[in-house]
Amino acid sequence: MSKHSALNTFGRSGNPAFTKNFNNINSDSIPLAERMTLDGAVNRTAILLALCFGGAFLGWNIPALIWPGFLIGLILALVTIFRSPDKAGSTAPFYAAFEGMALGGITVFAEAAYPGIAIQAIGLTFGILASLLFCYKSGIIKPTENFRLMIFSATMGIMLLYIVSFIMSFFGSGIGFIHSNGLLGIGFSLFVVGIAALNLVLDFDFIEEGAEQGLPKYMEWYGAFSLMVTLVWLYLEILRLLMKLRSR
Amino acid sequence: MNTILFSLLAIVSLMVFMNLGKIRASKKQTDRDDRINWFRSRKPNFYQKRDGSKIIEGEAEEVDDQSNK
Repeated sequence: MSKHSALNTFGRSGNPAFTKNFNNINSDSIPLAERMTLDGAVNRTAILLALCFGGAFLGWNIPALIWPGFLIGLILALVTIFRSPDKAGSTAPFYAAFEGMALGGITVFAEAAYPGIAIQAIGLTFGILASLLFCYKSGIIKPTENFRLMIFSATMGIMLLYIVSFIMSFFGSGIGFIHSNGLLGIGFSLFVVGIAALNLVLDFDFIEEGAEQGLPKYMEWYGAFSLMVTLVWLYLEILRLLMKLRSR
Repeated sequence: MNTILFSLLAIVSLMVFMNLGKIRASKKQTDRDDRINWFRSRKPNFYQKRDGSKIIEGEAEEVDDQSNK
């Protein structure tokens, strides 16, 4: 009997992007040159980051691109996750560019209100990325099934809270503490930043095992895409946290 | 000063990611029983067992010289 009683009770949970689509991949039939590698995943992440910065440059200069960038990026992310992970090589670069536009536009407003905040958020995002990668590679943080269950549940809870808050905003209401700069609001932002950061560990583990299992080459793009999604979220949450701190 | 510090942090972190990301995780990370099985098809590594021995477990079968190949 499995020792993971929560998994037995609720079924095998986790990010649907990771669990749903890849159970029937037989790596034995894939030639060595066509298999996923760590090098490939890291290089593709670098390409996506470069595209994101390019999009951000555009968004910085044309802030009206926030909503088109965000919506098109969201659609591309959903298509990549639920419809065609094997086409991640085509969709992920566009996702990165469009999300970059949205981030650039959001950042220009944040920078206008709090000068110097953009570089702080960028530095902290990449600082967290590097330090968690070190913790993962050295085995200081060891992701397990229960770890994944916890992070996934917390992530879904946060998403649900944001959706409810967004819907309530149409009726002139909202969940106040999410946006407040009081202790509760800052504590909430810190918690969300922590969860977003721990999602990076799951991404690292996904890429590491994918390379170990010799998955098809397109999974390099998919791994890079999942890392990019988490980095975009982490950056936004750090930016929100810094804005709350600066507005006190 | 603030800008320089955070720019340096971003650049150094990216360099760390680009280099460390290409290195395989330590044995402490990969040789665990409670690892997440993302793909449900993890093959047992029968070349090297956890205790270091290189034995393939299973029942021995008698081979008959005259059996059809």
